[in-house]
Amino acid sequence: MHKMLVEKEVQPHRRSGLMTYRPKMAKKLLRKSPSSSNKFNSANMTDDFQLHLDSSDDDAPEEVTFEESKASALRSMKNALETSKREKDLLKEKRRKRQELFQEQKKRRLLPAHILEEIDTAPAKKQKLPGDQAESNHEEASCSWEEGREGSKEGYEKETKKGFKGNIRSLKGNYSVMRVADQSSTNSQQQTAMDFIQARLYGPGSQRTTNNELLSLENKRGPNKSAAMQFVNKKWGTEKKAKAEKLKKQWIQKQKVPSS
Amino acid sequence: MGEFKVHRVRFFDYMPTAIRAMAFNAHTERLALARMDGSVEIFNFTDHYFQEKVIPGKDSRSTESLCWVGGRLFSAGLNGEITEYDLENLRPKYSLEAYGGPIWTIISNTQGTQLAIGCEDGTVKLFEVLEEHIQFERNLDRQKGRIISLSWHPSGTHIAAGMMDMIRVFDVPTGHAVQRLLVDRGFGGSKSQETVVWSVAFLSDHTVVSGDSAGKVQVWDGHTGTLVKTHLVTKWDVLALSVSKDESSVVAGTSEGTVIQFQFIAPTLHQQQDKEWVRTRTFKNHTHDVRALAEIETAIVSGGMDTHLVVRPLLEKFDEKSHASGLRKIHFPHRNLVSCAKKAGLLLFQFPGQLELWRLGDSDGHGKPGDRLPLKRKPEKLLLLKRKGEDHICCSALSSCGGWLAYSTVSCVRIYRLQTDNNNISITKVSKLPKALRSAHQLCFSSDSSKMFAASSQSSVLVIALTQSECKYVHTLKPKSGSRQPIHLMTTSVDGKWLAAANSDCEIRVYNLQKLKLHCIVPVYGSCPSAMGIHPTTNNMTVVHADQQLFEYSIVEKQYTDWSRKLQKQGLHNVWLDRDTPVTHVTFNPKNPNQVVLHDMHMFCIIDQSLPLPDQKTQFYNQMTLRSLSEQERPSHLHAFKICKTFQDLLCVSLLDDQSLVVVERPLLAITSQLPAPVRQKKFAT
Repeated sequence: MHKMLVEKEVQPHRRSGLMTYRPKMAKKLLRKSPSSSNKFNSANMTDDFQLHLDSSDDDAPEEVTFEESKASALRSMKNALETSKREKDLLKEKRRKRQELFQEQKKRRLLPAHILEEIDTAPAKKQKLPGDQAESNHEEASCSWEEGREGSKEGYEKETKKGFKGNIRSLKGNYSVMRVADQSSTNSQQQTAMDFIQARLYGPGSQRTTNNELLSLENKRGPNKSAAMQFVNKKWGTEKKAKAEKLKKQWIQKQKVPSS
Repeated sequence: MGEFKVHRVRFFDYMPTAIRAMAFNAHTERLALARMDGSVEIFNFTDHYFQEKVIPGKDSRSTESLCWVGGRLFSAGLNGEITEYDLENLRPKYSLEAYGGPIWTIISNTQGTQLAIGCEDGTVKLFEVLEEHIQFERNLDRQKGRIISLSWHPSGTHIAAGMMDMIRVFDVPTGHAVQRLLVDRGFGGSKSQETVVWSVAFLSDHTVVSGDSAGKVQVWDGHTGTLVKTHLVTKWDVLALSVSKDESSVVAGTSEGTVIQFQFIAPTLHQQQDKEWVRTRTFKNHTHDVRALAEIETAIVSGGMDTHLVVRPLLEKFDEKSHASGLRKIHFPHRNLVSCAKKAGLLLFQFPGQLELWRLGDSDGHGKPGDRLPLKRKPEKLLLLKRKGEDHICCSALSSCGGWLAYSTVSCVRIYRLQTDNNNISITKVSKLPKALRSAHQLCFSSDSSKMFAASSQSSVLVIALTQSECKYVHTLKPKSGSRQPIHLMTTSVDGKWLAAANSDCEIRVYNLQKLKLHCIVPVYGSCPSAMGIHPTTNNMTVVHADQQLFEYSIVEKQYTDWSRKLQKQGLHNVWLDRDTPVTHVTFNPKNPNQVVLHDMHMFCIIDQSLPLPDQKTQFYNQMTLRSLSEQERPSHLHAFKICKTFQDLLCVSLLDDQSLVVVERPLLAITSQLPAPVRQKKFAT
């Protein structure tokens, strides 16, 4: 950029007629490929800087015909189109490969075909129940199969939800079975609401302190001034006191050992 | 008074739950209180703030807001349901899913025809209040944020909704939002956090008063949508607002525990000065957040995370300083949570989620009054019985021999047989219970443990016979006429002949257990009975009421005893009547038939009926003075009421058969230590 400024300052009086006026530097920049690194650019720039210094300041700008510029513009547009097409193709390839990979993984997860047939003939009721739970309410999914499904990748999820009634997923992998009653009945919305109110009242920025401090302050400012709560009341701060006792004993032991 | 060995019990870890919401019904003068565990309590404000009814909570129910419609009580919570309560049977009548996500608030219009709820998904839903149920009517325009608070204009045409960072005013007939009032965010660091409008109040002149999380109370003009006045009252949140009936005063409760009053007065004494909302008084009666507030005619009632209910009467409404104008704090429930097995020396503690059975310790030592005796055997916890299901325990009982244990929730009753060998205890559940025994409001065992009495619906009592390990339904004692209010007190006589039951309508009925029919009805006294006991030998029933009046009724003769008439004629001493906590337990001394032992939260008292009654001029608390007097002077100064204040924060005082006193204390300091975190206040020089 510094280069371009310099050029403009040096030859401000050059006029352009029908011809397009393009500083030497700009032409050189256009020709460079867009993905070249900065270092490469700067190296080139220093080279060109040298070149420019060599040429005289009073040279007329290069004459560029209209057809030439039109041609170069078209070329650049074509290049741009080509690169975008290339990129799209690349993306398509990638997606195709990923899809194939998923298919493969899906095939690997399924049980061998004959076991699936056997299970398919099993009573449909057992499959219906978990299905109903999944559909009926917004409560947390208790069915282990659903959990397994939600853990899988996105493109996978829609298919498996549709296909649930028909197939049964394998229990391989880290799944766990538990009863609905064992989980808490708070659904996610209720949990969000409870978290909201907990965060607003007791979360960060709420400037809370402990009951110990509240009562200790009352002790210190009351009519009969006394010490903080943990020293006045024996039951207060028992864990801290126990820890302090242990540390004291350890220290005494340490003192004894070097002396003995 | 006599010398007693005292078992001083402090291992009952009773922990009350924080108060979340309250609603005052001006017609019936009842205050409904909702706690965080889902329980609802009803206080009778005409009867010395007596806790009339307790509806136990449930694990999955969390109440966020309460509302009265006529005599019906509705609540809404984060589980997305609106619950109506059956106040005669002390249980929820039904629950209606509102399908709006968690519900933050519920209000009713002044006409009592509609209910509005504010939901997490941003809708305000209107419900029509019908005879036996409620029905969904329509939604108002859905908003983008959650609706935290609502307030209905007295005319019923507009609703103000407090949301995040703004207040919306809806026009009810069309359902559209007509005004948007933008609330400023806080200063400094809290600018990045949205301001939550925790509560709004809509006054009849279309003024909207709002309290928000930035600590401001703002007054808005509802017609134009402009801010009239801002009062920055605290650094923390303003959590609750309440408007007085005549709309001249608004109170705001904060996270600091202060309650601030604003009054609509002219700020200076000049004539023709416009009235405006001026901050007048600040009350600091709480240590933790104030989350529920109600301004009633003569007082401000507040409750919050420090679990006690505070009634602060407004002194300008009283002509003279009297007992009624004093500050009242209600800490403990007005019913017994401790059952004592007198023969076996066992204690049963009732928690909402479990029961604990303890055996008292033992000591051989002797000493002077006031000495601490060394323990030969420590008290030990014999049993921890957890309830099944989600409903909380509402009542429990232990037989005096220690062989039977029973508890009840709103959905079931469970009876257990206990066997204590020397060091082992075994418990077996009685499996086949009579079908009629579904749930009980009160449970009581007869003194010989042969029968159990369960107070069930419509003031009736079920009599269940207990044999070796099973129980059989015997009879239902039904009142022929009278109210259908639930029974909250029951007691039996030691000889097994009589059963007395008292209900919330102040009726006390005495049943003859041998004939299994009604014996007599005690003359109704205006105040609710808070404790009853039947004397072991004379069968005189001592009843103490919520207004501290004391009566003794002879069951056999069906009339008040002479001693009771004498007491009423003389009148109770003023100091006795000025006590602000009700007596919750009456018991008798087996060795001395003249003595009646009763207690309230701050004292226990032994009434000696052989001694003269005190008149108004005698020193009431005279135990200390008597100790300092010589032997000759004492008899002239004695009077019947011997009060001991050594033990504080009493939950139960009982006499065992071996003449030792059991005193169950729960120091308030221990409760405070387990409360949630209070706000940090920087005080100078600390």
